[in-house]
Amino acid sequence: MKENALQVLLVEDNAGDARLLREMFSKEKPDSFELTHLLRMSEAAVHLAKGGVDIVLLDMGLPDGHGLDTVRRARAAAPKVPMIVLTGLDDEALAAEAMKEGAQDYLIKGQIENRALPRALRHAIERHRMQTETDLILTHQMQFKDEFLSHVSHELRSPMTAIYQFVTILLDKLAGEINPEQHEYLEIVLRNVKQLQSMINDLVEVTRVQEGKLTVDLQCTSVSDAISYTVGTLQGAAKGKGVALSLESSPALPLTYADPTRIRQILIILVDNAIKFTPENGSVKVQARMLNEDPRFMVVEISDSGCGISPDMTERIFERLYQVPENGQAGRKGLGLGLYICKELVTRQAGRIWVTSSPQGSIFSFTLPVFSLAHAISPLLKNREWPSDSVALVTVEVSSPDGLLSKETREEWSREVRNLLERCVIPDLDVLLPKMGPGGRGELFQIVAFAHEKGVAVLTKRIREQFQRLNHLKESGLTCSTSYKLLEPAQPKADVPIEDLANEMAARIENLIKSERSGRTVSHG
Amino acid sequence: MANKKILIVEDDPDVRQGLSLRLRANGYDIFFAGDVVASLIEARKHQPDLIILDLGLPAGDGFLVIERLKAVEALAAIPIIVVSARAGVANQERALAAGVKAFLQKPVDNGELLAVIQNALGAPAQPKEPAQLSQPNRRRVLL
Repeated sequence: MKENALQVLLVEDNAGDARLLREMFSKEKPDSFELTHLLRMSEAAVHLAKGGVDIVLLDMGLPDGHGLDTVRRARAAAPKVPMIVLTGLDDEALAAEAMKEGAQDYLIKGQIENRALPRALRHAIERHRMQTETDLILTHQMQFKDEFLSHVSHELRSPMTAIYQFVTILLDKLAGEINPEQHEYLEIVLRNVKQLQSMINDLVEVTRVQEGKLTVDLQCTSVSDAISYTVGTLQGAAKGKGVALSLESSPALPLTYADPTRIRQILIILVDNAIKFTPENGSVKVQARMLNEDPRFMVVEISDSGCGISPDMTERIFERLYQVPENGQAGRKGLGLGLYICKELVTRQAGRIWVTSSPQGSIFSFTLPVFSLAHAISPLLKNREWPSDSVALVTVEVSSPDGLLSKETREEWSREVRNLLERCVIPDLDVLLPKMGPGGRGELFQIVAFAHEKGVAVLTKRIREQFQRLNHLKESGLTCSTSYKLLEPAQPKADVPIEDLANEMAARIENLIKSERSGRTVSHG
Repeated sequence: MANKKILIVEDDPDVRQGLSLRLRANGYDIFFAGDVVASLIEARKHQPDLIILDLGLPAGDGFLVIERLKAVEALAAIPIIVVSARAGVANQERALAAGVKAFLQKPVDNGELLAVIQNALGAPAQPKEPAQLSQPNRRRVLL
């Protein structure tokens, strides 16, 4: 191998084309290029993997590769080596696509002038080097920015705390009487403090998304409750702006399988936005209903009578840091992170979010999966001679003696117990049901087990033993009790589809769960 | 009934003062400490009913305070509430595993803080005067 010579790999199956290119290289200074010529992509991939190639000249019409696929394979074999593709006269569109796939340039066969070839090679190498450098800088910048955001948002919290504390101290007259005008001004300070606070929270949230630390805790959740909560929380803000905020409830919606805290978070962002972009005397409505096209989902809609969003923006507004430009609305716009966070949260709960808009207003919609017990237990029904098997509903109740635990502590140990139970159940025999709303003094966990009384006894023994090992839970006075109910065996039916079996079984288990819960509500007063 | 005693371990003097005004108005007696060593001295001296603890402290951090308190028999049972600018599940889990009663993130809503304190103390405090809250509790999204 000649020193300092540029190592060129030519992948070309047409002998005529290859000869032409060889001739062009031969006219250059003898030590400036060294050409390796291969006929097949498969050979090229092997050669590239060895390293040492400075640039690839790749024909897009190889016998063992098709157009863009060839480019992708070459990129995969040597992602760091620049590449020029060779195409026919009628393939310029394809060549442009190749550049999107990472080729630095393209040359049209039969139109390559003698002196243009070495120049094209050098330019491609230089372009590739610059691109690599820019990418690296960009990655570092993004990393730095995320760390910076995280640091800043934490540092901002202490001064924010002091401002919040003293404003509320004045407002609550802990430092003496204030006159109505002073009260009004302090309310303005407080409102702005809260706005800043929510911006900081958005920043932290986005940093989490970037770091992949955004968590959702899926359980059986009432969307109607979350909507009522949100409308109640933001009613004051709507009144202050002269906007009518209302909820239109559909009768008896099923529960969804989602994170209640996250649903509230999504709703707060969307309803808050809707109020912000709706002029005085306008209206904002929140509604939940079943999704017509797919009954496995529920859709929540937030409609406003605001100025609407132009059609070409309806996708982009969910991008990070995107803001509707010059919307003619007075006042602050915020950071432009809310919708991005919403999209992340909805997606992580297996839903989707979109907006439809007209000059009369916008409708933001998001879907959430409906919780289905039948769906949860259906894996167990496969390969099973049901209904001759026994089915039991095992209830595990973990409670604290005084019931006075903070929400956070409770969530913490509830998570631990859930992990413990997941370890105790046998994946193909039992299903640990998701959380079904708040418990009383403690938390209820329920397991559908395909077991007879003996099997249930083994399961509950295992659970109690495992619980005894969680010392810190025991020390905080938590106790664990188990009980079970056997589902009466149904009459065997032949040739019933598994969905129907699951539905029928689910309905009976649901009844059992209901009776179990109502029994507990009474006994705890 | 004597007022319940709360020790505030916090190095930011403004936040400290703000907290103590709010808590005194709700019928608690307040003591301060601004670092790890002072917090242990003050805890021994006053035997507080509850400790409010910041995690970011000069010369050591809140976790060290928790560790030292839990190591002293006379102080180990005092309930601790962490109020910190630090967030994150990792900090939260570490604190809860170390035995703190609750983990709140700054800035804490007044209503939420008072409710958590009452829970931790196990009995409602006796306010000197009816201390209303300037805003209804807007629930913070805890992460």
